[in-house]
Parts: sequence; C-alpha cells; structure tokens
Amino acid sequence: MRVTLETKPRKKPNIPIEAESIIPHNFLRGTDLSVYEGNKQRSLDEIFFITVEGPAVSPDQVEVILKGDTGRIKRVGEYMNAGKIVVEGDIGMHCGNFMSAGQITVRGNADAWLGREMRGGEIVCHGNAGHYCGAGYRGEKRGMRGGRLEVLGNAGDFLAEYLCGGEVIIHGDTGDLPGVEMRGGKLVIEGSCTRPCGNMSGGTCLVFGQVHDLLPTFEKRERTQVDFRGMNVTMDTYHGDVANRGKGSLLVRSGDHA
Amino acid sequence: MKIEDVVCTFCGCLCDDLVVEVEGDMVVNVENGCTLANKKFMGNNRLKTPIKRDGGNWKKVGLDEAIQTAAGILLDADRPLLYGWSGTHGEAQTIGVHMAELLGAVIDNTSTVCHGPSIMAIQEVGHPGCTLGQVKNRADVIVYWGANPIEAHPRHMSRYTTYADGFFLKEAFRERKVIVVDIRKTETANIADEFIMVEPGADYALLSALRAIVRGKGDVLPRTVAGVEKEQLIRVADICMSAKFGAMFFGLGLTMSRGKYKNIRNAIELTEELNRHTKFTISPMRGHWNVYGSNEVFTWITGYPFAVDFARGIAFYNPGETTSVDILKRGECDACLVVGSDPGAHFPGDCCRHLADIPTIQIDPHVNATTHLSRLQIPVAVTGIDAEGTAYRMDGVPIRTRKVIDTTYPSDSEVLDKIYQIIRKET
Amino acid sequence: MSELLIKNACVIDPLNGINGDVMDIAIRDGRIVEDVGSSAEVIDADRCLTLPGGIDSHTHVCGTKVNFGRYMSPEDMRAGRTSRNGSMHVTSGYSVPTTFGNSYRYSTMGYTTLLEGAMAPLEARHTHEEFTATPHQDMMANTLFDGNWSVMEAVREKDVKRAAAVVAWILSAAKGFAIKLTNPGGTEAWGWGEDVSSIHDTVPYFEVTPAEIIETMIRANELLRLPHSVHLHCNNLGVPGNYRTTLDTMNLVPDLNSRRQSLYLTHLQFHSYGGTTWRDIDSRSEEIIRVVNASPHIVIDMGQIMFGRTTTMTADGPMEFKLYMLHHNKWSNHDVELETGSGIIPVYYSKKSVVNCVMWAIGLELALQAKNPWQCLLTTDNPNGAPFVKYPEIIALLMSKRYRDQECALLDPRTEKRVPLMAIDRELDWNEIAIMTRAGQSRALGIESLGKGHLAPGAEADVAIYPIRTTEIDPSAQFQQVMAGFSRTMYTIKRGRVVARNGEVIVEGANSTIWVKPRVSHEYDLGNDPEFAKKFQQYYTVRMRNYPVQETYLPRGVCIETEADL
Repeated sequence: MRVTLETKPRKKPNIPIEAESIIPHNFLRGTDLSVYEGNKQRSLDEIFFITVEGPAVSPDQVEVILKGDTGRIKRVGEYMNAGKIVVEGDIGMHCGNFMSAGQITVRGNADAWLGREMRGGEIVCHGNAGHYCGAGYRGEKRGMRGGRLEVLGNAGDFLAEYLCGGEVIIHGDTGDLPGVEMRGGKLVIEGSCTRPCGNMSGGTCLVFGQVHDLLPTFEKRERTQVDFRGMNVTMDTYHGDVANRGKGSLLVRSGDHA
Repeated sequence: MKIEDVVCTFCGCLCDDLVVEVEGDMVVNVENGCTLANKKFMGNNRLKTPIKRDGGNWKKVGLDEAIQTAAGILLDADRPLLYGWSGTHGEAQTIGVHMAELLGAVIDNTSTVCHGPSIMAIQEVGHPGCTLGQVKNRADVIVYWGANPIEAHPRHMSRYTTYADGFFLKEAFRERKVIVVDIRKTETANIADEFIMVEPGADYALLSALRAIVRGKGDVLPRTVAGVEKEQLIRVADICMSAKFGAMFFGLGLTMSRGKYKNIRNAIELTEELNRHTKFTISPMRGHWNVYGSNEVFTWITGYPFAVDFARGIAFYNPGETTSVDILKRGECDACLVVGSDPGAHFPGDCCRHLADIPTIQIDPHVNATTHLSRLQIPVAVTGIDAEGTAYRMDGVPIRTRKVIDTTYPSDSEVLDKIYQIIRKET
Repeated sequence: MSELLIKNACVIDPLNGINGDVMDIAIRDGRIVEDVGSSAEVIDADRCLTLPGGIDSHTHVCGTKVNFGRYMSPEDMRAGRTSRNGSMHVTSGYSVPTTFGNSYRYSTMGYTTLLEGAMAPLEARHTHEEFTATPHQDMMANTLFDGNWSVMEAVREKDVKRAAAVVAWILSAAKGFAIKLTNPGGTEAWGWGEDVSSIHDTVPYFEVTPAEIIETMIRANELLRLPHSVHLHCNNLGVPGNYRTTLDTMNLVPDLNSRRQSLYLTHLQFHSYGGTTWRDIDSRSEEIIRVVNASPHIVIDMGQIMFGRTTTMTADGPMEFKLYMLHHNKWSNHDVELETGSGIIPVYYSKKSVVNCVMWAIGLELALQAKNPWQCLLTTDNPNGAPFVKYPEIIALLMSKRYRDQECALLDPRTEKRVPLMAIDRELDWNEIAIMTRAGQSRALGIESLGKGHLAPGAEADVAIYPIRTTEIDPSAQFQQVMAGFSRTMYTIKRGRVVARNGEVIVEGANSTIWVKPRVSHEYDLGNDPEFAKKFQQYYTVRMRNYPVQETYLPRGVCIETEADL
C-alpha cells in the first residue's frame, strides 16, 4: 500500500502540526486519523490531500509518502514499528521518536530531535539534521538505544546526547558537543566538530575530520588503525571523560585536530 | 508613616528588611535598600488607564472593555503564548497557568532568557543547594562564577555571603575566602582572594579540569586550561576541598555562554564531587524577584518549571521547542499575553518583530519597550508596593510581600481572574 | 441544607466496632447524622464495602522538596499525564505527581485526609500553597524540629519547657500539625557534611545527642498536649545493621499518654535491617516487632517498598547523599538554615537486587507480625517506598498468602535465607485493613475527635465505597479483585459531597487544613522573648515578622487550640 499525503495550503503556515498518527501501522485501518494544528484537532484530510494506492495486510507493506510544505510537521513516525516513510522535502521536529523498526527517509532537512530515543530501525536524512539528532529527552538517562541513523549533510549541537546503543553516522560536520553524556553505542562523524564527547562514560566515537577544542579531560592512549571507506586510517585514541568515571573511547584522525 | 520589614520586589534576593516611608499614596523614602530598590520604590512613570491601539494611535479604554478585548484575542488564537510571570505574585501565576490549560496555550516565564539552562542542568543531575542562611552562618569558601553581584544583586554579599557575619563566622570578611571566575576583572573580582580569568566560552573545559583534579586525575591535564595555569586550578581545588562549608553561586556568565546548560551541569557535578571531600553547595543567582516563584507554581500545577505547552490538552515540556524565544523566532504563535516582564527589552529583534505582528497584550504598571509592540496594555498595581502576594526567593524561601500604599489600580490577579472567568465561560 | 443517604452500605467502622453490618448512612451538611428527610439524595451502595474516608498518616505530597522532585524530573512528569477533563485539571507525573494529580489519584482510591510527612518551618508557606492546590483531601503538616537550633539549645540546657515553648511558637507560626524529627541531630551534622551513627553520638557544636533530642521532644509534646505524638524518622535510615539503633530508640520511649501512643515511628521497614554491609543485609523485623508488640505506647507505619521506579525524598539529607553514592543518578540536597535539611534522588527497586527483595519482605513482615493492627499502619512513605497508587497491591499482599508466594517466587533466590516472610501464613482481614488505612491513623494522629476516621453520627462525612462485596469474595484466592476494588471507589464522599465516582473526580474540591496552636503562658511565649528575637534577626535571613504563615494561606483552616502546661 502506498499512502501519499500532500499538504494543503494553510492560513497560518507557521503553526506546527503534531502528527504522531502518521505511522505506517495506522493506515491499515484507513485514513480517518487526526492531528493537532496548534491547539486545534484536525482530521488528516483537512491538512493533506490523501491518496491511497494498493492493499496491505501488515504494516511492513505500507509506505507513507509526505509531500509539500512538511517542515513544520512534527512527530512523524513516532513509535513506528514497521513499514516505510518517505519525506520528499523537509520534516519537522521529533521525526522517528521511539521508532523500533522500519525505515524513514528524509530527502530534505530534518528539524531537531530526529530519531529521539530511537530503539531500532533506520533513518536516513539526505539533507542536514538540526540540534539533538539521535538524542534523548530532558531528564532521562538514556537516549537512543538501538537502530541506525545516518545524515548525509551536517548535524547541529548536542548530536547523539546520551547515546546508549545503535549507530549514528554524520557525513558532514556537527555543531558543539556531539556525543555529550554518551554511554554506549557508536557515533561516527566524518566531518569536523567541536568539543566531542563531553562527560562521556562509555561507547565509541570516531571523528574523521577536524576536532576543535578537544576537552582537556581525555587521556591519550596508543594510536590505532581503522578502516574508513576502504582506506586504512591512523587514529589518535583517547579515553574518557576523566572528569567523571568515564570509560568511553574517542578516536580522532591523527594530525588533524587543532 | 514608616513601615518596617518591607520586602523588596526587585531581584531574587528578596531582601525583607527595608524601611519604607510613605506619605499618602507616595513612597518618599527607603532605608536599607540598594540603589535598585530605591529606584523601584520611588519610581513614578505609571500608566494611568488601559490603552488600546486604534490605527496608529493609542486610545484610552475602560478596564472592562480592555478585559473583554484581551479575552477575545486569546480565545481566537490557535497558538497563544502567555509569557513573563516573574514580575508578579504567585496567586497571579496560578491563574495564568489555569488560563493556559483552558486555552491550550504555551505558558513560559523569563527563565527562558535567564536560568532556563540551570533548570535543564538540574533536570539531568539534580541540585545540591541550601537556603542562603546556611551560607551566611557556615560558609568559609564562596565562589562566584560568571556572576557579578556587586552590580546585579547589590546586597547579596552583605546579607548572605562575603560581608555577612554568621553564627560560625563572627568576622565573616576575614574568615571567608572568596573565589571569582569570570572572563574579565569585574568589581566583584576586585575583592576576591583568588580570581580566575577564563577565556570566553571555555568555562566547560575549566570545570571539567577542576573535576578531574578533585578526582585525583589532574595528571591528565595540559599545563594550561582555558587560559588558566594548571597550578592555579590545583590551588583553587585545594581551597575548595579544604573548606568546611563551600558555596558556589553562578550567574548568566555561565548559563548563557557557550555550552549553556552543559556548563551548569558540569558545575553541579563539580559540586557533587566536592561533597565527597567536604560540604559544598551550589546556587543560581536568580534575577527577577519572583522568577523562582513562577518556576515553583508552574511545577506544582503542570510538573514543569517553564516552557509548558498545553496545545494538546496535556502538559508538554521541551526547551528549544516550547520556549518563548524559539516559538517567536519560528513565528508560531498567533497571539501573546505578556505579564510581569518586558520582552521588548530583552528578546532578540526577530522575536520582537513577531510580537508586533500578532495581537500582543501587556499587563504591566509601566510604559516600557513591550508597550511599543503591543495592541493593548492594562496597567496594574505593583506587587510589593500597592499589591501584596507570594514570592519565592532565589533559594526557594517563600515570602509574602507587603502592600505599603493604597492606590486604585487592580492587582495582576484581579485582572487575570476577570479574563480567566470569561475564558472559562467560553471554553 | 444538603442531605445524602447511602443505602445498603456494608460498613466496616473499627472505631465504632462495626464490622460488616449492612446499614444506611445518613449525612447532613457534611456530617454523619442519625437520619435524613425523604428528599435526601440517595446512593445505593448495593452491599459494597463502605469505609470511613482513607487517611494517610505519612506521605510526601506538598512543599519545597516534593516540588523539587517534580522540578528535577521531567522524565517522571511525562510518565503520567492526563488532560483537562470536566472539573479535573491537567495532571503530570508518576512517582511525584502534580498537586492535582496527587489529589485526584488519592480521591479515586477513597482517601480524604493526608498528613504531609515533612515541612521545614522556614518554607511552610510553600507547603500551604500546595495544600490549597490539593483540593480533595484535608491536609496536615508534620513540622521539622530535628536540627532546630533553639530546640537543641534547650535540650543542652535540659530545659523541656523551653523546648516546648520553641515548638509552640514555631508550630503556630508555620501552621503545622505535629512535631517531626527526621534523623534528629543528623541533619545539623549534615550542615558540615557529617552525620550521626547512633542515638548517643553528639551533634557538632551543640553537644547534644539524638537520644536527648528525642526524649526531650516526647516530653515537650505532652506538655503542649498536642493531638499527635512525636513523629520520628529514626537515625541511620537505610543502613545495614540499623535495627539496633531502632531498638535503642524504642527503649527510650516513656508512656505518657493514655489516649494514644507516645511515639510514632515512621517507615519502619527502612529501619529494620540486620547485617553489616549491603552484601549481608537481612531482615530483623522479628526483633523489631517483638518490641512493638510489647509496647502499646508505640505506633509504627510500614514504609513498604514496591518494585519499580520511584523518587526518594526526605529531610534526611545525609542519607540521600549516601544513596546517591550507590546509585550515581541525580541528587538534590536542600539544607534549611537553623532547622533541617533534605535530599532527593530517583531510585529503581528491582526484584533482581537481593537488597531490594529483603526491603520488600521486611515491610510486609512488620504488618503481618504486628499483633495489634492499631500499632502498624499501612504506608509506603509515599513516594519513597513506592507511589501511593500501589496501596491496593500492598493490601492484596497482606490479605493473601497465595499472592505473596507468587511474588516471592520471582525474587532473587538468595532472599529466602535472609527473611522470615515465606514462613508467615497470616492473612489480614477486612477489618484489619480498615484499621491500618483509616481508623488507626485517626487515633494515632489524634483527630478522632474532629470526626475523622469513623462513621458515627457527628463524624465528618468522609466515606469511601469500594466495588467489593466482602461476603462474596475470598481475598486469599481472589486477590486480583481486592486490588482492583481498592484502586477505584464507586463513590468517594468528602464532607458529604460526592467528589469522585468510578475513578473520576467530578467536582472542584474545597479542603481544610488542620493545624495546631498550643496556648502557652506569657512567660513561655517566645514572641515576647527579646533573646529569641535577637538571635532570630542575627542568624535567619528573613525577619521574624515575615516568618509566620499568614492565615490567608489557609482559606479553610481548622485550628486545634491546645492548653499547654506552660
């Protein structure tokens, strides 16, 4: 089944829409779903032109396609557990929160909290991701726990904060403090970043670009070789964060950090 | 007539020992207050009646009409924002939160632009704190980090810290060590026993380094951190660890610089680490007199200290998303009520432009920068001068403010309650 | 005049010796009466279990530290959320719900009166503000005196009357209900990062011992003729081997009051540990309860823990720091000048932890081994042992050996050797549960005469009707029904008005706050004591005149005035 949701023009296009109802599973029972536009509850067809093609008996056979002005639509794919979502343009905050399985593709940019507290499945964002990509929720000790989150562009600040499991890969640069409070899992930054892994207590972070303002509380260990896109790359290895009782690993491409 | 033990409603110190002299409905003299207090009590540029924009001009309107207009604007909105609250009493804040519940509004207080990051840090690691009297009576080491009390909280040092004689410190000034950390040599730094000049934006690294030293891992550190010699850091860590009772206070220099809440988190974790060696506490230097009260009131009703979004009926909280500056920057809200604060003077330009584009209502005694962005303003009594009510000091101690003169202005809670009653009927 | 008639109620009212009689209850203007007119509103209880409104004699629901528990825990807030619904406000929170959340959840479980377990006098105004936002229960506040400088000075001088005078002034100023001692002496030591480890350690500078503080305060309490006894959280909470401290403490207690106990020991589960470390901790409930059984002048509450996530909060600052060192989660601390301290940390009690399993067993053992249910009241020290919404599960555990066995099978296997629980067959009956959840509280708190905790004519018309027919179910086997029944009343009636029905709160509440004002002679009124005033101005950071809570904070205050022997 392919469900296409194309946005209708709105009188107040800046008001966010909260659309956690948009997950493949829900469309098995039709399109009689609702979302919030500000403080008003709206039926899905007030916001979107909806077309449905083909049948499905299980959620993994459902593909949802979002088109149009989707940059203010939040929580798409929240608690998603199967199937596919493709966003042709930009997507609003909290896309793929708590998702446990399935696939989300964002062809444009993703706003903040992409894949927050993700547990499984895969998210690929072709553009840039905002702050707190692959991060946790306020006050909670565990962020993303599983799955794979890949951003082909750049990511904002606090990338993978409280990362506990799974893999986050950023092809471009990131903002400040990626991997801050990280406890497990793997974070790969192909571009540059500042102050990676502040207060990390576990997990592994690899940075292939430049690291700016490396924190003073990382203990330098022996160098190591890793494979990066088929090349053998020498990495400086750090252990930390010794400001706490951290047992994390930070690997930075040798000779490249200022 | 002289009135004693008056509570000053200017900053988070909430000094309650002012002596105010009044003649009729005028305050003519203030004793014990700092210059900021004197200015507040003696100030006199009150707006006389409600005013409403009529084309390019202001028109005077009656209170009832103003209240009807305000309620109508809020009821029509799809994403109203109720902002401010730190400059009013708790009873008004309570009505504000209940109003937000009914409207499906976002309610936020000025923490958003001051100690919001401190709250977010506390939500990650907690807060080892104490009341100010505990510091006054016991602390032999005081740290001011990114705070300049001499200018922002003029009586903080004389009432609670450096110069305040306490039970276990009879000659406080001689018995206490003061450490100041800042990016420049402030007035407060001039009286410090140790002044650490940190490179701008490098507080986080400095705090991490201090934590490492306290943990016995100082050998990992380079010779200088954030422009500070390692030796000085070791010396400062020693002073802290050998304190009988240490108290750290931090200000916007730490909350609003690079890293924001992670700086505060790091400072709190340093404090926790120090508690393994001695007694140490940490406290934010809250700015507005009742900003902490707004955090308290919001919390017991909604569960969250600021930035609460009721759009979907339930309370949702996520700074960065539900905070006023972010909402205004993204142009989300379509109406705004401002109570007890002046965002026109403190918010970034694009936020102010959005406030001017949407119907903004202000409840405030004075003509201020926000007046110019508003369509309607309702003047009210000033809490602590011609209205009374509850306030929470920066350390959480609740104090009832006094009313020292009688005027005809309604209080914030009276105006808000009238608006609330209309909204209640309509929802 | 409003009248209500509850027909066909299966009433258990232990204070009046009624045990399962089917009868009608007549209510007029908020009080129980002999009968009402024919136009009274009628509720058919349909032979369901009808009890006086529940009373919690030790819970943390309002005030500085409770609110800080919320403030620091957005993750807990999102774990329980309801939207505005009729007259119900928005609620958030699981282990530390918002005030309305607490009030609605208690109300739908049939609770109509609560004692806040700890209020620092300096911050009393805050507690009272939250009381008015907890509208469906009458509220009282235990007032903290454990580290009060003026009290410790009086203790040092061996001046019981002076200690009583301090209590009288502060209780009236704070609008408190009773004397609470939390780790007496320990909270002052914590001002220097220290603690006391036995009742005979001395408090730094003040040179008094916890034992002296406790004894003096028990005597001062009776001089003031307070309705409740001293309410004690013993020293060494949560420390392996602490049962000795608890036994030492119980041995101190004189029997001074014929109407009620002379000492209330709270959350005794946390104080009944054997062993020397966390590795060899075991249950000493038998030793403890043997003394309780032999000491009619002592009342305890369980402080049961239940498995799962919760938040611990107490005035016992040093204990919370020790707990933080174990858990490494977040930690808050808040010392209050000249008075007390407090701490908060979140915890998770796990069946995989033998320590937690032992704790769980101890609470139940205390209740099952206490011969007299009036002496052992049901609590979780909400939310320290568990959120109060777990009470129905605890009731079911106490009423069903089968349920206990089922749960014991899931525990860490090492538990069995360390606790006597598995060998205890006793199953409590409905009457005992009614005592442990309302009648016993009423008597222990001394609020029987206000009409609390019973249903005789003249009593406050606080009534809970549960969807349970006691004659038709066997709680031993049908414990699931017991649990479901106590979770949600059919009707909760507060002061003669139906406030909750089938799990939903249907009206806005209007509670009372009960506080105590001892009347003392001029000589013992510290308001007239220049020395007290001078010290106050020197060492507190608020002025003496700004300290007392104004009556405006108690819109429906009920003041119990006592005639003190001073």
